Amino acid sequence: MKRIFDTQLIGPFAAMVIVALVVALTTDRFLNPGNLSNLSLQVSIVALIAIGSTIVIFAAGIDLSSGSMVALLTMILAQMLKFMSIPLMLAVPLILLAGGLLGLFIGLITAYGRIPSFITTLAGLIAFRGLALTFNNGSPIFSLDPALEPIFYGKLLGIPLPLFYLIFFYGLASFAMNYTKLGREIYAVGGNPAAAVLTGINVRKVQTTTFVIAGFMTAVGAILMSARLNSGSPNYGQTLELQAIAAAVVGGASLAGGRGNVLATLMGAMTIVIVQNGLNLNAAPSSVQNIVLGLIILLAVGIDMWRAEISNLMGRLFGRSSSYTKKGP
Amino acid sequence: MTTGTPLWEFVDISKAYPGVLANDKVNIKLLPGSIHGLLGENGCGKSTMIKTLSGVQQPDSGQIKHNGQPVLINDPQVARDFGIATVFQEFSIVPTLSVGENIFLGNLPRSRFGVIDWSKVNTEAARVLAEMDVDVSPEVITGSLSVGEQQLVEIAKAIAMDARMIILDEPTAALGEDEIDRLHQLLRSMRSRGTGILYVSHRLDEVERIVDEVTILRNGQVVRASGETEINVTEIISAMIGGDIGEHYPKEQNTAGDVVLEAVGLATKHGVTDASFTLKQGEVLGLGGVLGSGRTEIARALFGTDELTAGQITLKGKPVKFRGEIDAIRAGLALVPENRKYDGLFFNFRAGGNITAASLGGLSRFGIMNLKIEEQATKDLIRDLEISTQAEEKTVNFLSGGNQQKIVIARWLFSDSDILILDEPTQGIDIGAKVAVYNLINRLTLAGKSIILISSDHDELLAMSDRIAVIQHGTITRIVHASELTHSDLVRASDEIPTSQTEEAFV
Repeated sequence: MKRIFDTQLIGPFAAMVIVALVVALTTDRFLNPGNLSNLSLQVSIVALIAIGSTIVIFAAGIDLSSGSMVALLTMILAQMLKFMSIPLMLAVPLILLAGGLLGLFIGLITAYGRIPSFITTLAGLIAFRGLALTFNNGSPIFSLDPALEPIFYGKLLGIPLPLFYLIFFYGLASFAMNYTKLGREIYAVGGNPAAAVLTGINVRKVQTTTFVIAGFMTAVGAILMSARLNSGSPNYGQTLELQAIAAAVVGGASLAGGRGNVLATLMGAMTIVIVQNGLNLNAAPSSVQNIVLGLIILLAVGIDMWRAEISNLMGRLFGRSSSYTKKGP
Repeated sequence: MTTGTPLWEFVDISKAYPGVLANDKVNIKLLPGSIHGLLGENGCGKSTMIKTLSGVQQPDSGQIKHNGQPVLINDPQVARDFGIATVFQEFSIVPTLSVGENIFLGNLPRSRFGVIDWSKVNTEAARVLAEMDVDVSPEVITGSLSVGEQQLVEIAKAIAMDARMIILDEPTAALGEDEIDRLHQLLRSMRSRGTGILYVSHRLDEVERIVDEVTILRNGQVVRASGETEINVTEIISAMIGGDIGEHYPKEQNTAGDVVLEAVGLATKHGVTDASFTLKQGEVLGLGGVLGSGRTEIARALFGTDELTAGQITLKGKPVKFRGEIDAIRAGLALVPENRKYDGLFFNFRAGGNITAASLGGLSRFGIMNLKIEEQATKDLIRDLEISTQAEEKTVNFLSGGNQQKIVIARWLFSDSDILILDEPTQGIDIGAKVAVYNLINRLTLAGKSIILISSDHDELLAMSDRIAVIQHGTITRIVHASELTHSDLVRASDEIPTSQTEEAFV
């Protein structure tokens, strides 16, 4: 348990709570059940995709392709359901498989082709959206399957289903990162690839695996995206990859690799969504939302980088001899 | 010896970090034209002193005097302006830049229009390198040089800025014997020109050879001040650790068993031309030779890092072919690399993660790790190897070099590997930690593991090996029992031209 509630979670958790408190104080609509349910829906897709983005980052890679891959996968799903009469219960596993295979493709080129993941996934970002436009003459496809929304975006006992998916996948990812050989290998590869080679870890295989996980989680996100409006669209998922990376970074994952906690990414995603929600509820225009999101990312990384300076400043502001520190013997 | 005004003087300098008093009223006088040895175990406060003098940090109390006048060195640039050059143990060169650029980095000569004057950079750098008798072109990319050559570039930087005071922190840690000689010659000529030199080293044989005065620190305090008596290694050791360490090299004689590894005629494209040797169970085979003779390259050839162009490796009677490090590790080989910082440690892990990194398969069932075994094994090893207990809770970047090295070796103690290649295992760690590493080597051989030891410290190699293979230009020229070889044999071997003396190569 010590490992799950480690210090890496305290900061992101505190940030999330503070942001929630501030928003709750500015508007009484924040805490009403309808809004909270809406929040969990809003966070679900980006948070699920962010699991993959985070794991790629742990291995010192980056995944820029997830947003475009969402668009491509929703179009493939729509094509299968609408025009190929493939039943839902077959189409969904096929989409998960497709996501995994796209991830495998990117992973193999990155790890074995020795091309930096920034480049391979940038290529994916551009090319996947292009591929998505080749379906249905580039137009969205609607009314896919009446069962899609109830199963993947509906409610169970009044609680939105995506919340259950979130709990399941974050539980699984957290377990994998903390208790499995693969998780340890991912941190090792991200921490020091040269040392990983010398300890017998198959670095390329591990790197490839992180992209397979990312592709799979992107497919999960794509299915939820399709279910939300019972449709597929080549325009879905724009900037989703950046939001997912932002969630990881706000959660404290180091882009240099090797450090971070996957649960902190969930808190990072929550923090971002709560801020957006608060601005929405207070009727702020979307331009302001983007500006604020940019500032949050800077602030989150800044606080992490300037930790020592901040505590020094606090010491100077309040003075060492002040009554603040003179507690107890 | 302490006549005249000191170039630099520390008066009652104290510096505290949270929980430790790193420097406790330290007094030291650094004279011009003198080489001053600064000794002490890791954590004794040497680094703190160096950082204070080079302006990296400020003392809590006390005074620094320059030519008798109190001065404030509140910034590294101020130190440079005072003519203080520091060669830190951790290189501060930029590997992607050329040698010339590195030498003048931060101070690149400009032409009239503010554009870098490249011809001046290169001619000036060439002049400095020639003065140092270093055969490296200023236009070569620094990262492509050997560790030893990079160290010399680091020293060239100090010479190029015409420093009046040079601080050298473990300058020879990565150098071969002839490079050390060259460096010492250089330091002597700088001394004769009146430069003050502060020389920090763990290699006591060197200290005896070159240093004029000695200051020894223990727990932040000066335990022996400059020039009190003649410099005597035994005395220095006991002053450093505060007692007698007994046997400096606690070598245990092994009863070597069957041959576990046999190499015949190994050659690679990277500097191995003809290497043949056998390794027996429980034996320490030393690879002797100067830096660049092919010692590390033979290790790389054995470990599957470099492809063999000729020759055959046989493990316990079975011919093997490694296509990469993973094959070698699966077959039971392990390599503790020379550069533990870059190739050995996971700085994002605590001791546990580092120790088990090579044994993840054995610790897991269906891919799930048994963290209880990991925790217990880590506790046991930390206790047995006297690793700082902080290692349990803190990531290894917070530990001293000695503790880090113990953790890297502990990894292979914990694994199933039975042939260990140790490349410079005691480089840059203090005498106490060195002895601990020697004890570890004994422990490994006692457990039936075989060791190939690579070391530039000839005394260490002679004392800790059972047999020694002498290497010149990528060829093993002869293999003899360690007792039949002397320090000077090893040094001389490096000068010999390889002729037809390979008849002894098949021992």
